[in-house]
Order: sequence, then structure tokens, then C-alpha cells
Amino acid sequence: MRIRAALATAVASAGVLLAGWQSGAHIAETGTATTTSLSSTASSGNTGSTGNSGTTGKSGTSSGGGNTGSTTAATYDGTQVQTRFGTVQVRVTIQDGKITEVTPLQLTDAERKSAQISSRAAPILRSEVLQAQSANVQTVGGATVTSDAYLTSLQAALDAANF
Amino acid sequence: MQRTSKPQRLRARTFPSMGTVVSLTVASTAPAETAVDEVESAVEVVEGIFTQLDLTFSLYRAGSEASRLNRGELALASASDTMQELYSEASEWRLATEGAFTAERPDGGLDLSGIVKAHAMREAALSLRAIGLQNWCVNAGGDVLVSGSPDPGHRTPDTSEPWLAGIVDPLNRQALLGAFPLGSMSALATSGSAERGEHIWAVGSSRPEFAQVSVAASDIVTADVLATAIVAGGTSALDRAVEGWGVEVLAVRRDGTLLSTPGFREAA
Repeated sequence: MRIRAALATAVASAGVLLAGWQSGAHIAETGTATTTSLSSTASSGNTGSTGNSGTTGKSGTSSGGGNTGSTTAATYDGTQVQTRFGTVQVRVTIQDGKITEVTPLQLTDAERKSAQISSRAAPILRSEVLQAQSANVQTVGGATVTSDAYLTSLQAALDAANF
Repeated sequence: MQRTSKPQRLRARTFPSMGTVVSLTVASTAPAETAVDEVESAVEVVEGIFTQLDLTFSLYRAGSEASRLNRGELALASASDTMQELYSEASEWRLATEGAFTAERPDGGLDLSGIVKAHAMREAALSLRAIGLQNWCVNAGGDVLVSGSPDPGHRTPDTSEPWLAGIVDPLNRQALLGAFPLGSMSALATSGSAERGEHIWAVGSSRPEFAQVSVAASDIVTADVLATAIVAGGTSALDRAVEGWGVEVLAVRRDGTLLSTPGFREAA
């Protein structure tokens, strides 16, 4: 039952995320990451109430309330949950008491395995992409920038540094 | 934008063209004065290619060949060789991508601009090699084509460090999502809806599945066309691109999650 509850929570979170995305709510990841237990919130069924901890970044275990109004976003990492699909962990970003983003921190073992053995595209975590800072790349790729947008782009900074 | 202790062996020059900015970066082992002359004559050559193609293909210029063609004042059969060749190349790509890439606008007009910029980069590469330059990077509004290494002369050509291209995070354009080392795959093109609005029409009427798609390939036209096709055609176009052309792909879904082939992943 716990698995089902966790999955239901994930689905609900995705719905909220979608709503947040469409309303254009955007996220500044400023909060400190604290840990809240996905399994406990799932079993007690009051996931939504964790939103009221966004102001302090403390662990979201308190009951429902409306003390939002803060504009700072906080992120919470769920605990690693064993499901029959493998180990799952999610991170939620909460702003103004609403979940604005849900990202998987850990993929199921099955997804991970397929990503490793296949040359086809597979879901990966942001941390799994080859990382680089603008200080150690020579050029920057991205969707076509307009001449105006170029001025504030990372590429413009690199070009100026190499002039 | 701090000037760090970066060695001054990379020299960059830029010029505006095709509605964006083109950057040429040249890595040189020559003495400073020679190297400056080198990059300045090189950028002149590249700018000439872009300017000429823009004059022919721009739909913003009423007098361009592309505009006259679209108004029906000029028949394709009497158009210039470049126009006919690019039209035919675009048509082949349309077939190969099952319509996910197309040079036809929803209103029926012809718009080759999706392929012209990549073609200009391909032509620039030929000219840069012809004038003897081996280590350079052309970035045209976020699409990248390189040759050689940013640090030539240190090691043998076989082991020299590849150009490393960062990839902009579509959710935060001041940050990098990741990077791709441009080795045998020397071209990297990125398409998306983040910058110019949703300028790529998704197949059918659904919203595009991906916010941004980067494709690395051994030639820039393939990379550019397939990046566009994947934004328009979603996961099925992505799978076809990887299977059919062996390209590397990093796709950002609208919710920020990623799909990637091994080439974009951190080496294990």
C-alpha cells in the first residue's frame, strides 16, 4: 500500500508541477535542501502541507496550515524509496506553498540499466550530464539567440574574453 | 565577465548575420601580431560567406531571391544553383525525417532559413581550411562547428584536447546544463523554443515535447536538421535520428527532465 501511496503522491505532484509550469511560475533554487520523508508523508496522506515549511527550509512534517506568503523557494529531497521498479528518490521545489518542480534524483534501477547498456537516448539525471563551468568551455551551444539576446549571453562573455 | 588567467592563444571575432551573432574563435600558436592578422582575415572570409547567403535567402529583404521566389516572380527552375541545391537538400531531409523537418511554412511559403545558417557554416569550414587554418570554432547563434583543438601544438593531433562546448540550460540561460567535447563529431546544433518563441511547429497541433534539443554529428547540416526535427517530432523523431544517423542527442523535456545518449553523459 505504501508503494501505491507513494506513486499516487508522485502523480499528484506531477499534476501540481504541470499547473505551476503552465502558469509560468518559475523557480529560483535558493532554499537549503532538507530532507523530508516521502514515505511518511505518503502514508499520512498530507503531502500538500509540507509547503508551509518553505520559509524556513525546515523539514516539512507539520500539519496543514496557510503560513505561506514567502517568495523564497526551498527544495526538499525525498527519501530513497524501494519500489518494485527499483529505488526511487525525488526532489521537490516549493514556492509560495506550492510544489513548483519535481525532479527525479534517483531513477529506478531498470531505467538506469537501460541507460547504461543502450546507445539510444534514455532518461538521465542532470547530475549525470558531462558537467562544465563557463570558465572551462571554449564555446556555448544553445537554441538560436537573437542579436539582442547575444549581448547578455555566455557566448558574448567568452568572445569578449578572447577578443 | 572576468578576464582570468586564460592564455591568449584563443582569439575571437564576431559579426551580426542572419538575425543573430556569429563568432569565430581561432586557436593559434603564432606570435601575437601574426595571430591577430590571422583571425581578422579569417573572420572577413567567414563574414563574406554569411553575408552573401543572407542576401540570397533572407525573407526579410523584399528583393532577395528567396522573397522573389515566394512571391512567384521567379521559378525554382530559373533560380540560382545555390537556391536549387539547398531546396533539393531540404526536400531530401523532409523525406528522411518523415516530415519532421520541413522548409515549408504553415502558410505554404518556402523558408530555407532553417538550413541556410548550417549551410553557411559548412561553407565557412571549407574556406577556413582552404586558407590553411586548422584549429578554429565557428558559433552561429548557438550552433557550433569546430576543427582541430583549442590548444594546438601541445600534443600530437591525435591526442590534442577537443573543443569543449557548453550547452545552455533552457531553464536558466546564464547557466550551463552540460558540455560536449567536439571530437570526431565536430558539429553541435541546438533547437528549442526558449529564445525565439515557439518558432518550430510541432507535428500535429500538440505542444512540443522538448524545450531544447542538442544534436552532435559529424556535419553541421545533419546536426541542425535533426535538432529541428526532434523538437518538432518528439521522442519518436529522436529515436529515428539516433538509429538512422548515429548522432548524439541531449533533449530537455518541458518539465526540465532529460533524455540523453551516452555521448553527453559524464564518463563513468
